[in-house]
Amino acid sequence: MKLRAIKGIVWKDVREISREKMTVFWIIVFPMMWLLVMGGIWGHTSPPVTVKVGAVPHDGEALSVVHRMSNVTLSGRRLFSVETFGDGARALKALKSGRISAVVVFPAGFGKNLSTGLPAEVLVYYDRSDPQEYQIARGAMEGFFSGFSNELAGTREERLVDILNTVLPRNTSVKVIPLVEGVARPLAVKEGESPGERVNPILFFLAGVMGIQFLFATMSLIGNGTLREIERGTLRRIAASPATAWDFLLGKFISTIVVILGSIFGLIAFSWLVFKATIWPSPVGWAFLLAASLFSMGLGLMIAMITRNVRTTSAAINLISWPMMFLAGIVVPPSTLPGWARSFVNYFPIGRALKDFRLLEIHHVRTSSVIVDLILLLGIGAGTMLAAAAVYGWTVRRIE
Amino acid sequence: MMKALIVRDLRKTYGKTEVLRGIDLEVEEGEVFALLGPNGAGKTTLIRILAEGLSYDTGEVLIFGMPLSKETARLMGYVPQESIAYGALTVEENLRFYADLYDAPADGVGELIGRFELPPKKKARELSGGQLKKLSLAIALLHEPKILILDEPSNGLDVPARRELWEIIESFRRGGKTVIIATHYMEEAERLADDVAVMNGGRVVAVGTVDDLKRLVGEGSIIHIEGRLRAENLPDGVDVIGENPLRVRDVRRELPGIIEALVRAESEIRLVRIEEPTLEDVFVKLTGRGLE
Ligand SMILES: Nc1ncnc2c1ncn2[C@@H]1O[C@H](COP(=O)(O)OP(=O)(O)OP(=O)(O)O)[C@@H](O)[C@H]1O
Ligand SMILES: [Mg+2]
Repeated sequence: MKLRAIKGIVWKDVREISREKMTVFWIIVFPMMWLLVMGGIWGHTSPPVTVKVGAVPHDGEALSVVHRMSNVTLSGRRLFSVETFGDGARALKALKSGRISAVVVFPAGFGKNLSTGLPAEVLVYYDRSDPQEYQIARGAMEGFFSGFSNELAGTREERLVDILNTVLPRNTSVKVIPLVEGVARPLAVKEGESPGERVNPILFFLAGVMGIQFLFATMSLIGNGTLREIERGTLRRIAASPATAWDFLLGKFISTIVVILGSIFGLIAFSWLVFKATIWPSPVGWAFLLAASLFSMGLGLMIAMITRNVRTTSAAINLISWPMMFLAGIVVPPSTLPGWARSFVNYFPIGRALKDFRLLEIHHVRTSSVIVDLILLLGIGAGTMLAAAAVYGWTVRRIE
Repeated sequence: MMKALIVRDLRKTYGKTEVLRGIDLEVEEGEVFALLGPNGAGKTTLIRILAEGLSYDTGEVLIFGMPLSKETARLMGYVPQESIAYGALTVEENLRFYADLYDAPADGVGELIGRFELPPKKKARELSGGQLKKLSLAIALLHEPKILILDEPSNGLDVPARRELWEIIESFRRGGKTVIIATHYMEEAERLADDVAVMNGGRVVAVGTVDDLKRLVGEGSIIHIEGRLRAENLPDGVDVIGENPLRVRDVRRELPGIIEALVRAESEIRLVRIEEPTLEDVFVKLTGRGLE
């Protein structure tokens, strides 16, 4: 192995590639455009929903509940837009016409029950014509009323405890008070901090574009780069020098990785500048990217050596890459894929690598849960490379 | 003296065609050795075996007594038939790249750019044919090889560029180095070569100095006749070495008999000349055809 020869090949390749407008476009500009488009369309955190509710209050207490309802905010915006109706029939008509998505009817006596501490009831109707909207409306309504109900339970419990304290003898052996508490709030559901949520969707796309780079760009860079050296006769000239086939291949691998890294750094910075969100991979994350690129460089080189033709190689790489971009869950979330396609995500090394990379860098899972995959992937990558090197050696010996 | 190159019974087939049919050659250190032959003679194939490590079927090749290897690659500087510069890189970047490949001293780059008057910042794809050839030559000389191997270096060069190239080759030889040059230009071989191997159909049909080879055509001069000739019924025993123009070896004052025969056959004679033999004559005599 001759370090200077390898360095020479890397420098030469990087210079050459950086002076080819088309390559620069596909490697550097296109991924940024892709991110911009994908991020622009699907990248926003979903806009705050507003649930349109028709309320039919019959007394002042009900009105004050309606008032509270219309003051509920989510991320600084009102969750409900409430319209009050004089009678239930008109409200239901509005529901049917789709102008509102839910109707709350406060029956007569609601206020009295509420203020005297008796069980109160509300009646809610939903528009079920759009399942998604139904889900949202129902979730919002139930959320509001269970919160309200909990609050009621709290004040009622306090009142009851006050009464019991005056009525009960001082040293009652039965623990009545905690029991009252338990009756009022039998089960409290608290939401904890959970990873995987509140993820900026742009990060999903950013990781996806990185995946495209490793799927497409590395394959075609190394495949077409090597073919061009064969076609121009420069590979033969390099073979005539003291540099060995391994020096040449190592040089090509390193230069490909250098160019792709350039593209990735560009993307990371671009995402930060434009979307104010980015991924700076951890060492294990980088290792995943490296392993994936080993696999795809090996694949690209093999395709090029078997077809021995720039056009056929580009076609073959496109043929593999385009379906894989979707099937391997690179540009669309794997959860949107049909079951048979999900196995591609799991077994196609680049799909798997990207899935792990996302888990690691976006959802921050523990390294230990992906380390086995990483080792496997490195093995597969190294194996593919060795196979590609063998095919390369075999082909080059036959160049006459 | 040490032999720079020994080739013994070298054979190479492409598929079923035998391209080299048992080549034997010896090249002395410090000489210019020309491989002269028509298209398809096998010159490039022989050179690629020496310089590129192209596979061969049987035979032996020794460079300074050593079989071909990455070590002997370092001893050779190679200028292939086609350009091997990277079009998108500048002259200087191309030279630096090849200097890295050969682990050649870096100051050679500037020195060769100066010596060959190359524009260092110009991209290789913007160079003229002559400059490109000089760049290939500079690339071949970077690592100070002991043998320079050139495959038809003057192809496509105009006369001044060719002269310049020859001067570079001669100055390399003056440094005690060996040159192997494939060509089908007689003038090139006559001017540069100490020894010439005439190749045809994958064989070396004659080897020797230019004078040795001329002697093959025979002592004395050549009768050269041009015109619309009908070369029938020439006197018995005349040694015809070319037909149109008619070239005959003048062994025993043949001119009157030949002219008489031509006139009798109603030829139109435009020009008659008595010349010294050229390498071309040797070539035609050995291979039965012209070069270009
Ligand atoms: N890669 C190849 N595959 C098959 N046949 C080849 C190949 N290269 C050369 N040949 C054949 O080998 C023979 C010798 O070719 P070569 O290039 O060595 O001749 P040459 O003397 O260099 O000719 P030229 O003066 O045209 O350069 C030719 O008949 C050619 O067709
Ligand atoms: Mg040739």
